[in-house]
Amino acid sequence: MRRPLVVLAALACALVVPAVAHGHVVLMGASPEEQSTVESAPSQIELRFSEPVLISVDAVRVLARDGGVLSAPARSAAGGRVVIAPVSGLARGSAYTVRWRVSGQDGHSPAGVFTFGVGVTAPPPTEAVGAGATTWKDDLSRWLFFAALALLIGPLSLRLLVLRGPVPEPLERRFHLVTTVAALAVINVGIAAFVLRASNALQLPLPDLLYGDLQPFAEKTRFGIAFLALTLGFGVVATLLLFAWVSDLLVFRPPALALALVLASGISLSGHQATEPNSTKVSELADWLHLVSAAVWVGGLFALAFLVWPSAPALRARAFLGFSRLAVGLVAVMVLAGAYLALVRLPALADVWETDYGLVLLLKLTVVGLALSWGGVHHFLVRPRLEAGEQPRVRPSLVGETFVALAVLLAAAVLTNATPPPVQSGPSAARSGR
Amino acid sequence: MVPRAETAHWLAGSFVLLLGLVLVSEVIVGTPVFRRRPWRAYLWPSLALGSGVLLWVITIFSTFSTIHLLAHALWAEAAMIAGGFQLAVVRGKLRSPSWSLVTAAALLVSGAAFLVHEPNPWLYSRAAFLHHAIGWMLVVAALFPIGHALRPRWLVWRTGFALTFIVLALLLFADRDAAPIFGRFGGIAGG
Repeated sequence: MRRPLVVLAALACALVVPAVAHGHVVLMGASPEEQSTVESAPSQIELRFSEPVLISVDAVRVLARDGGVLSAPARSAAGGRVVIAPVSGLARGSAYTVRWRVSGQDGHSPAGVFTFGVGVTAPPPTEAVGAGATTWKDDLSRWLFFAALALLIGPLSLRLLVLRGPVPEPLERRFHLVTTVAALAVINVGIAAFVLRASNALQLPLPDLLYGDLQPFAEKTRFGIAFLALTLGFGVVATLLLFAWVSDLLVFRPPALALALVLASGISLSGHQATEPNSTKVSELADWLHLVSAAVWVGGLFALAFLVWPSAPALRARAFLGFSRLAVGLVAVMVLAGAYLALVRLPALADVWETDYGLVLLLKLTVVGLALSWGGVHHFLVRPRLEAGEQPRVRPSLVGETFVALAVLLAAAVLTNATPPPVQSGPSAARSGR
Repeated sequence: MVPRAETAHWLAGSFVLLLGLVLVSEVIVGTPVFRRRPWRAYLWPSLALGSGVLLWVITIFSTFSTIHLLAHALWAEAAMIAGGFQLAVVRGKLRSPSWSLVTAAALLVSGAAFLVHEPNPWLYSRAAFLHHAIGWMLVVAALFPIGHALRPRWLVWRTGFALTFIVLALLLFADRDAAPIFGRFGGIAGG
């Protein structure tokens, strides 16, 4: 019986013996380094690849801030593993963009972009010469990300904080399904958002974008580092939730919620509240509290309307009343943190109507006002009737409030991608790498 | 921050080989004997789920190109979901043989990802050859779980499914972009 296994194992081991060769073409290093600051202007740009590459004369283009090309035709060295492009006309005190494109022996044509500064701090690759601004696709992906995060954190919070203890099996199944799918959705939408944002800077047509080098964005920007941490972290969250479902051991849920809440800070640590010149630890904390309270509120509403109401009639009143108490605290945190952040971003009142950022904020506040009014009706009119033992028909209204809350997230997504007006430098003026 | 591609492929190959050996063992000795110790039933779904989690680590190292980032994320999810559902089947949470269709879908999606992420024809390079071979093998192998859903007692489905992972492991171990398509790896591969 054992002989086939031994033969198979030996065969597999025999294949491990040959020495290693690199796989796909990867940019291993550059001189000047990606997003580095050099003291004197270089006379050439050198790119080192993991494999020999084929190049055209414009394989490397060095661009000045005005878009002027400062590089001469590129040439190969070191058996094709190094590509060198002579440059001239670089001045101290300026930042430059390097755009490159080569072909590997495997037939793939990777391309990439990075920046460096001569005597100045290099901007992040998202601000490279030729990089496009954010578009509606970025807003959409950000909104879907927020919505997925809310559908993960909200139902988990409702189940762990409001509906503690056993619940009917159909409701438990729905909690498992929604939270696990939401965790996977956070990962997938996060990947899409990351690629979209990098594509704005890479400026490659879709077939070429597939082989675009995302490393400078992943390793040299705050949003890239946050993306890596979030992808891995939410992979663990999804695994914990799968375990909770498979094993019926709900003990896996609290760590999943705790990890998701911690990971949400990655968004705050890579957004405006961390990268703008007047950002502080307090603004980062306020942003995280704002985001987390909004996610629990929106996701909790969804869970109430689409999970508890249809599948556990006996728990409706308990869930509504418990969530109503929780929502008061959530709204208080959300409003206070939001007001503080608005003051930080828009210190001058006129900025509210004179800048695009301010106008989007106004729009968001309008939708928030509608959502809070809706919630107020539930809190002051529906709650007393449920406490009195009545069974008012409230589900359509809960569904309506959920959709308005999702609209708040859309406005928040647009606001996150908008550029706030310039402010005076503060404690983190030297921060870089959005 | 980029691990050598072959190191990642070999790591994946080792996991897949272990998974395949577990499945082959069950086919050889028969399910009643293999599952005399109940924990053995959890082995292959746990390995699939575990490989999915590890693939997330590989995914975040795959930012050297968009297509590799997307493909690795897809494989990670496919392995996680297939492993999770099979754990639920083994545990008795899901009872219908039709749940093996989730595994079929995971194989189909994984195979499609292999084929889509390889733009070159079969004989362009060893990597291209192997990517096509792996892709089509996984697409065809999706028939085994489908067959299992329709005729759960037929041994051929489980045998084919088990051997798929053995062959997949061998192909992953043989994956070297710079080597000739067939034969030894040659000087360019350092061998």
